[in-house]
Amino acid sequence: MNRLPLWILGLAAILWGLAASAQDHAGTRTALSPDPIVLRFVSWKPDHPQAWNEAIARFTQAHPHISIVREIAPHSSTAYHDLLTQKLKNQDPTVDLFFMDVIWAPEFAAAGWALPLDDLFAPSERARFLPATVEAGTYDGRPFGVPSRIDVGMLYYRQDLLQRYGLTPPQTWEELVRQADLILKGEATTHPLLRGYSGQFKQYEGLVCNMLEFIGSRGGQLLDEERRRSTLATPETLASVQFVRDQMIHRLATRAALTYQEPESLSIFIQGHAVFHRNWPYAWEIANRSTRSAITGKVGVAPLPRFAGGSSTSALGGWLYGISAYSRHPKEAWEFIAFLSSQEMQKFFAIRAGLAPSRSALFTDPEVLAANPQFQDQVAVFQAAAPRPRTPVYPAVSHVLQRYFSRALAFTGLDLEAEAASADRQINRLLQLTEPRA
Amino acid sequence: MTRRILLGLGILLTVVGSLFPFFWFVITSFKSQQEVEAIPPTWLPSGGVGFYRSALVEYHLVDYILNSVVVAGATTLIALAVGIPAAYALARLKLPGKTWIMGGLLSVSMFPQVAIAGPVWQILEGLGGLNTRWGLLLPYITLTLPLVIWILASFFKELPEELEEAARVDGCGVFQTMIRVMVPLAAPGIFTAAILTFIYAWNEFFFALLILTQPEKQTLPVGIALFQGEFSMPWGELAAASVIATLPLVILVICFQRWIVSGLSAGAVKG
Amino acid sequence: MTNRPPSLTSTWSPAMPARGADQAAAWWMLAPALAFTLVFALYPVVDSFVLSLHRIFLGVPALGQPFVGLDNYAVLAADPVARQAFLVTLAFVLLTTVLELLLGLGIALVIHERFSGRGWVRAAALIPWSIPTVVASQMWRYIFNDQYGLANLFLFGDEVARYVPWLAYPGFAFLAIVLADVWKTSSFAGLLILAGLQVIPDDVYDAAKIDGASTWQRFWRITLPLLSPALLLALLFRTMDAFRVFDLVFVMTQGGPGGATQVLQFYGYKALFTEGRMGYGAAISFTVFLAIFLLSLLYIKAMGSKVLQKEAA
Repeated sequence: MNRLPLWILGLAAILWGLAASAQDHAGTRTALSPDPIVLRFVSWKPDHPQAWNEAIARFTQAHPHISIVREIAPHSSTAYHDLLTQKLKNQDPTVDLFFMDVIWAPEFAAAGWALPLDDLFAPSERARFLPATVEAGTYDGRPFGVPSRIDVGMLYYRQDLLQRYGLTPPQTWEELVRQADLILKGEATTHPLLRGYSGQFKQYEGLVCNMLEFIGSRGGQLLDEERRRSTLATPETLASVQFVRDQMIHRLATRAALTYQEPESLSIFIQGHAVFHRNWPYAWEIANRSTRSAITGKVGVAPLPRFAGGSSTSALGGWLYGISAYSRHPKEAWEFIAFLSSQEMQKFFAIRAGLAPSRSALFTDPEVLAANPQFQDQVAVFQAAAPRPRTPVYPAVSHVLQRYFSRALAFTGLDLEAEAASADRQINRLLQLTEPRA
Repeated sequence: MTRRILLGLGILLTVVGSLFPFFWFVITSFKSQQEVEAIPPTWLPSGGVGFYRSALVEYHLVDYILNSVVVAGATTLIALAVGIPAAYALARLKLPGKTWIMGGLLSVSMFPQVAIAGPVWQILEGLGGLNTRWGLLLPYITLTLPLVIWILASFFKELPEELEEAARVDGCGVFQTMIRVMVPLAAPGIFTAAILTFIYAWNEFFFALLILTQPEKQTLPVGIALFQGEFSMPWGELAAASVIATLPLVILVICFQRWIVSGLSAGAVKG
Repeated sequence: MTNRPPSLTSTWSPAMPARGADQAAAWWMLAPALAFTLVFALYPVVDSFVLSLHRIFLGVPALGQPFVGLDNYAVLAADPVARQAFLVTLAFVLLTTVLELLLGLGIALVIHERFSGRGWVRAAALIPWSIPTVVASQMWRYIFNDQYGLANLFLFGDEVARYVPWLAYPGFAFLAIVLADVWKTSSFAGLLILAGLQVIPDDVYDAAKIDGASTWQRFWRITLPLLSPALLLALLFRTMDAFRVFDLVFVMTQGGPGGATQVLQFYGYKALFTEGRMGYGAAISFTVFLAIFLLSLLYIKAMGSKVLQKEAA
């Protein structure tokens, strides 16, 4: 048994590793006690890391006793949600504050994961923000999130290509299809990789946003007026889904779009491989950054098209700052949030990172508009953005929607009507089961 | 003659089929960013070790590796410490209802993770074991025990009884007999069980995803599954990280393939 | 006899008289293993079942946790998502086990032969099995990428306009997951089959050779029948594992497109851990457990009768 010493060595090393990790823990705890405080902030990998580093540096300069650690969660809102909620279920005390997607506030509030911010986020302060964003963070009349920015779907297009063919940005989806057809035909020999449209159609949360825009711009909805019944099986909604399947997935966007989230679809556009691109406001800055983009200076932006007889609809997105119910430093977390969502910092992010502010006043700020011509004249779009269903069981509702839309787009020859009716039943059941009893 | 051609073909297919897909990832890890994004893809890489550097530094791969080493190593040692006596008792000692106990222990190997994940998670929450490495050890040990016991019991059964009897005549107790006489004899089996347990714990993803949510505690599979970049998938860094995560296992397999094969065979032959 | 697990045909019994002290020692030696198993495996399964009899929405604590009997299972039976997940899982299990047994048999036959460099071939065959599933999943996802993928490069070369977004087609996405699983685990099946090959005595073949049987005949008449216990064991292991596939789906497709790759264990994970439907999620996962359990019993029964036949012969 001459192998024994080796085993003992191994055992000792492992035990040392475990002990060291335990000590690590003790170490951070003592470090936390009076001074300096470490705030852990869960966010996605920022599209503009320098801007974020600078913002955080400004804060820590003013608050030398606080340091900020950013924890990076997945880009996809669905995957992000899974990770963050798992942390909160784990009562992970090292999460102090987080970004939450606008659709999560009801769930986070009802489950007790997010701190209510009644006193901190005072009504007078709330009035300075775009109402839709504040509304998104409110549950049962109490605020749980502070809007960091507003996101709405926008249409990006290749100005140079449209000009070459004497076109102006399309008003309707049908017009978009005609224009794309014309351009693709003309460019076929010089640019075989060019696609007509690039959007987000993978089976995840972004699919719901993309589809909501097509559905809304024909006058359809996801839920009825009382928000009690799902309305996927109505003629307007079915027609929109069919249009996306036949005109987008099977033609302009190509089937590959079924595997794209924001980064992949944007990557296609900035490589110059798409005529039209649907994305949030942040894409403008990236599409015009010469280190990343092959199409700087050739990009135009417009409200999303509509169907004949409908009106342009943009999904309301965006991220709210929330404080974890398990944070040991809610006070400091609030200081950080108040700093980040201040007029000054929102202006900073708008100029440096192209993020659309959630404070109404900034939409008339000349410096903001100079850096972001895409905001010009589009306040109406921002104010009219269409929210997704608000319910604490939104994740379950969204899974049904995602699956239905993905099936509708991916399977050819599917009985759409039956499929939609089945999804309606599942959503109705969820809504009915979780309706608080009177 | 046809037999030799068939064999040659078989060898070729086995080797190429097994290695080529991963080889493509290895090539990718040595490319430059332009080559990774080239359409159509290029064959010859020229990027050097740039992706390895950024994977290790910017993506904190070192932390993940350390966590994986600690978790997989500790799982292996404890699973053996628990599994060896159990296997010995089941293989060599008289016990009422032995087959049932063995059946019960082995049946765990077919439990789907999702069927026990919720309650295991709640137990760990009660014990304060969430987001700790030892918390992850508990399900890992439980889930590797069937494998350890299965392999070792079959090894113990093969050993000659004379040595054991001699030890007993010399006045050794049951436990002493096991430690002094039987364990050294079963060393090859123990070694095999150790390698398989280590590989299991190194590769496990489901429980690690649920139990460890702090990045500095997470293991390699979680790190690699949640890998992401700024604008698009960082395929180059991901390939580099994957190569690093796989390297220890490749070395283990190349050095000890004989043990792995013989150990699994010994267990399986009893079937 | 028939209920015995595979490796338990213990014909050996200690020659020594059983003493009370021995038995006590034996229990002590078993105790830690039993404790782990009871607390972290058996109790959780029972608890999952209890949970599945309640209606629990984590996001709506106001609803309480009412007992609803078997209601969750009734809903599950009528749930079209579950039905699709069940069919996808079943197809996955069937396809992967059959392919893995066939390829595993091939690998086993190759590395059973004696030739120089056999150790290296054996190591090569084991490498896919040792690679973390998560790594293998990322690797295959990259191979099937619509722009940079090896699959497209192989099939279409420079004709980039013909490149196919494999993972965007329900059928191809499903096959991609099957392929990734087959690549990763065929060699494990091969090892188990190899073990069976190694115990077939050479004189059986020699006798057959003298009788004038061809290589082919020897394979069909001798190798395969004598190999059947090992094949059944490999089948059992692979079936149980295939039923539990999760990592591949999580990394490669997240269940899409259109739910074409959503397997039961992934659906259960979604319901439990992302939708917060604890009761319904528990019902899904307990059903997965039951399916595996019943299937294993069936296999073990088949194997038990094989072993009996051998003993009788």
